[in-house]
Amino acid sequence: MCRLALALVIGLALVAPAVADEAAEIVRDADRFRRPGDSFVWKITITSEEGKKAPSVDGFEVYVKGSGRSFVRFVAPPRNVGRSLLALGRDLWIYLPDAGKPVRIPFSQRLVGQVANGDIARADYAGDYDVTLTGEESVGGITCHVLDLKAKTKDVTYAAVKYWVSKDGRRPVKAEFYAGTGTLLKTGTFANFKEVAGHVLVTRLTLVDAIRKDRTSTLDYGDIAIRDVPEKYFDKNFMKSAD
Amino acid sequence: MLWLAAALLLLALDAPAAADEESTARPDWPEALRVRGRLAEAFAYRLHDPGDVAKLKTLGWLEGKYTLSESADLRVAARGWYDAVFDATDRYPANVERDEARQLSLREAILTLRRGDLEVRLGRQQIVWGEAISTFVTDVVNPKDFREFVLPDFTELRIPIWALDAVYRLGPGLTVEGVWTPDTMPNRLPKRGAEFQFARIPFRFRNPVTRLPDDADEFSLERSEGGARLSVLREGWDVALIYYDQADKSPVFFQRRVPQPPAPDVIVLEPRHPRLHVIGATLGKSLDDVVVRSEVAVTVGKRYETIDPLDHDGVVRRDTIDYLIGVDYTFLGALDTSLQVSQKILTGSAANLTRPGVAGVATTSVALRVATGFLDNTLNPTVLAVVGADRGDLRVSPRLDWLATGSLTVSIGADIFEGPRRTLYGQFDRNDRVTFTTTWRF
Repeated sequence: MCRLALALVIGLALVAPAVADEAAEIVRDADRFRRPGDSFVWKITITSEEGKKAPSVDGFEVYVKGSGRSFVRFVAPPRNVGRSLLALGRDLWIYLPDAGKPVRIPFSQRLVGQVANGDIARADYAGDYDVTLTGEESVGGITCHVLDLKAKTKDVTYAAVKYWVSKDGRRPVKAEFYAGTGTLLKTGTFANFKEVAGHVLVTRLTLVDAIRKDRTSTLDYGDIAIRDVPEKYFDKNFMKSAD
Repeated sequence: MLWLAAALLLLALDAPAAADEESTARPDWPEALRVRGRLAEAFAYRLHDPGDVAKLKTLGWLEGKYTLSESADLRVAARGWYDAVFDATDRYPANVERDEARQLSLREAILTLRRGDLEVRLGRQQIVWGEAISTFVTDVVNPKDFREFVLPDFTELRIPIWALDAVYRLGPGLTVEGVWTPDTMPNRLPKRGAEFQFARIPFRFRNPVTRLPDDADEFSLERSEGGARLSVLREGWDVALIYYDQADKSPVFFQRRVPQPPAPDVIVLEPRHPRLHVIGATLGKSLDDVVVRSEVAVTVGKRYETIDPLDHDGVVRRDTIDYLIGVDYTFLGALDTSLQVSQKILTGSAANLTRPGVAGVATTSVALRVATGFLDNTLNPTVLAVVGADRGDLRVSPRLDWLATGSLTVSIGADIFEGPRRTLYGQFDRNDRVTFTTTWRF
């Protein structure tokens, strides 16, 4: 009996890290559909809708280099032009022409509609969250891994994410984003997969408010260019010059 | 200075050839030119007797940026206004009307040159140091326009100066910045009789008094100002050390007696701008989902007017330490709050000092800003409250911004002041107002 228990313990000890590794690998693979390369530029258009109101459209030009470094230039509407965001790891600054200098802000702060700053400035779930593989489910006819993501630190955008990744091809399919209290904040669905410069990428993320289902924000990714982004974009002293 | 001019010239000539990390191909001119602007109509109604229109201002901003190459660009911005309140009412004296009714000013004229890790900005500009919002602890480079107290946006409050600003990236997260300016313009203060005229210093003279004008030359190589800032960003800790050598931007009134026998001596009040050395540091850090910011500045050579009758020139030196600590936190992902505590400490007695912003050896103030958004963040209420902890004076400014379209913003708000007469906010106790502003951006 003792031998059986010992064997079970050893077996579990060997298997558990392997399962955790597999879970992290799934998220890493899914992240690849959300970023085309190590250094790239893309445009994000956010269309926010609420009930029968006319939708509002915000435009951003996003420069990304490595994991956790991004510079976001606000390009529309006119009232936001001149603003920019800089994310360096877990630090985030906003440049407001009215203030005339970069100001630190949290990732969780509202950006526009259902979109938080972190939704456009960070795309590194594998780096930001501890992952557990909890099972399988079918979402819209696609068999998916179901993963629980817990934030490694409090300064990421969401405390927890429930993440559905297709078993076939490990594409992101759906995500539920939770606050620290366990409250569901919003649900995201990933769509419009397209091949860009040899990479298959998600080009649409739709976020729906958890309480007011008529509040949605659609992020469309376009004009994707894989190129070496100069270092100056990731220096907060550059933010004023970029205006 | 010759080496500086030579270096700049070299940089300017070499700029297009200075292959940055990107292509230096010159964009076609329509792509290289960016023009934007704003038009605003600002209305304010003064609530206290005499309740009346206090502002009926039409403002326009136009700015352009022309990208010469990846290594060089040119920016020009102008602002103009016309305040019809001076035609609509006769409450303000002619000198105030001359000073405030209309203005056309060059807000920016900057040639920016880049080569490798060096960026040089030359021209009329705002140079903003510091981490905090809505205070000036280390924001010391530009003079300020206080004709509407501190109520406008800070980019509107700062008066641009002609300056050379060079930023050099020593390495990842390590930057050094040097600033030099011969433009020694002082703060612009409201004229006597203006809506936001500062409380006058309560001198106790029985003699006749003559107040000399503050007419120091705006440009002076001899009195030129300059300083440096070293910024370090490591593991999310954003620390900067600053030093700035400048003339006091606010005039200090030195007294002297001029004998006029057989009549009594005349007291002459002469505005001067004593030399100041500002040594400071700033800190910014995200601790989980809380942002912490702090600033400290030691001003060496600061002088204040005194009403001590035994003081021979009516001015005493009190080196001053200003510091603040602030935290930002977003509650429930929707309520952005910012709390800031600041203190001014004099190195010496505060007896007989009468500046409204000085309550004692230590003057403490607490500021709280709360903002949120409704209707998909198109309706944004904000409240800013600042309390002088020592004498109980306060300012409360609620505002509601409605983003009617992507270009049009409509704002209603109020500025409420309370407190004893000779305090920073209490001096405007009778200036409570409601405001209505529409801004169209293009």
